[in-house]
Amino acid sequence: MLTLLFILFAGMAIGCALAVVAQRNPLYSAISLIGVFISLSCLYVTLAAPFIAAVQVIVYAGAIMVLVVFVIMLLNIEQEERRRNRLKFLVPTAIVLAAVLIAEVAFMLVSVNNPTPAVSDIGLTSSIGSQLFTRYLLPFEITSILLLMAIVGAMTLARRGGLLSAEARLIPGAQQLPLSLVDPNAAPDDLRLVETDSTEAAARLLGVDPLNTKRD
Amino acid sequence: METAIDIGLKFIAITVAFVVVLFVVAYTVLAERRVLGFIQGRLGPNRVGYGGVLQPFADLLKFILKEDITPDKSTRFIYFLAPVIATMAALMTMIVYPFGPEIRIPFTSITIPLVITHFDVGLLYVLGVTSVGVYGIMLAGWSSNNKYSLMGGLRSSAQMISYELALGLSLIGVILLAGTLDLAQIVERQSAWHGMRWFILLNPLGFVVYLIAAIAETNRVPFDLPEAETELVAGFHTEYSAMKFALFFLAEYINMFTVSMLATTLFLGGWNVPFAEDIFGRGTFLFGLVSAIGFLLKVIFFLFIYIWLRGTLPRFRFDQLMNFGWKILLPLALISIFITATLVFAFPNF
Repeated sequence: MLTLLFILFAGMAIGCALAVVAQRNPLYSAISLIGVFISLSCLYVTLAAPFIAAVQVIVYAGAIMVLVVFVIMLLNIEQEERRRNRLKFLVPTAIVLAAVLIAEVAFMLVSVNNPTPAVSDIGLTSSIGSQLFTRYLLPFEITSILLLMAIVGAMTLARRGGLLSAEARLIPGAQQLPLSLVDPNAAPDDLRLVETDSTEAAARLLGVDPLNTKRD
Repeated sequence: METAIDIGLKFIAITVAFVVVLFVVAYTVLAERRVLGFIQGRLGPNRVGYGGVLQPFADLLKFILKEDITPDKSTRFIYFLAPVIATMAALMTMIVYPFGPEIRIPFTSITIPLVITHFDVGLLYVLGVTSVGVYGIMLAGWSSNNKYSLMGGLRSSAQMISYELALGLSLIGVILLAGTLDLAQIVERQSAWHGMRWFILLNPLGFVVYLIAAIAETNRVPFDLPEAETELVAGFHTEYSAMKFALFFLAEYINMFTVSMLATTLFLGGWNVPFAEDIFGRGTFLFGLVSAIGFLLKVIFFLFIYIWLRGTLPRFRFDQLMNFGWKILLPLALISIFITATLVFAFPNF
């Protein structure tokens, strides 16, 4: 029964993984990747590690891939064009690396004969929790700090340059840009460029009343 | 042989749960229309059958018989896949909820647990499966190849990932109090104090945050921005018609039902009815019956809150929604964790 389930989900995982690289449309690749994560989580369930299975779905399928799909949808990435391989040297490198990987797997299958114990508490919630907060406390904390740094870094990058000053927010549809970014010839017709010193002057030029458009 | 019987029994249990869910959903829709009618000073549908009791079936017939339209420029496969994902993810959570305690059938020694399956991490399972449900909405919005649909899909995904944080954090208080992720055991932990040790009493802030975040997760009023008709026609399901639209509709109401069941299980004591154990004694048939009815009544109470809100509140603006989610709800959830953790630490035997 378990072997049957393993073959089913392992086949699903491999099929979806192949689809991830074979698809031309990035959204299809993303959906296939979600399929990979879900099949992997089913495999974890058959390995009696329900906590890891649930976390796999929540974190990868439920959070990270939502963001990936979100970005693909938001940028409306078109289907990738079929193009000539520019990096020719990558083909032999890939073949060599694939051969090494297959050799490693074959070596593992042939030489290592160590059946996993039928009952283990590796994937259970309590064992993961106690290990995480005792033996692996320092790596755990360092990972948290690393994630916090990533968040702060992303915010800093996102806010640089494009940030509206508190006053400029008062004009609906207005965006404050550094002068180096502004190209008057490339601006669309419904965009008016106004160069001023103060928000009030900009509002007067645009013909809106900044005091009446206060938000929040 | 035994596994075959086991699988057969599970199959029957799942079928029963499925039928019950569809029945409850059908009558939630009817109740919503009648209650909204009452709130707005009109009658609501009352012509099909006595007082309108056959209205859901008339609606279903209409959904089946309507023409099924697929837009010319849509991405066909994903367009078909989206409602299936939404409905499947909504239905899959049904299997872990404990509807009642173990009951013994009268005059025999057979006991049946009123739960389809035991899962050590039932709570995480529910969170995981519901988080996959968002793909149904996102992909529907994308594959329709329609601006309104796309905007609806984007909005809903942004909304759902924002509120999922507050939702997950609000549940940590309950996990701290119960010390387990198994829904059946969480209910057992609430059966002290004559079946009154409900976690809403110990963690009221977490309950409030959960309820608000859950309403946002199910895209219901006042958080129904993905389908705000004044700006987005019908949002992500603008292009959907007939049975495919019905599947989205179904998924939304099943999600309401699962959220109500989760709120009942985690905060209102699940199937614990006050003093039922003292009167009927544990393990008797009557005790099981009273508990199951109690569970259903609590769930219906939450469904009524949903309808009540829809008849009462206006819709949020999108920036208000985001501000509320990140700047108010998330800190509140963190505060509730802090308070509960302090409580558990200070009174370990409480």
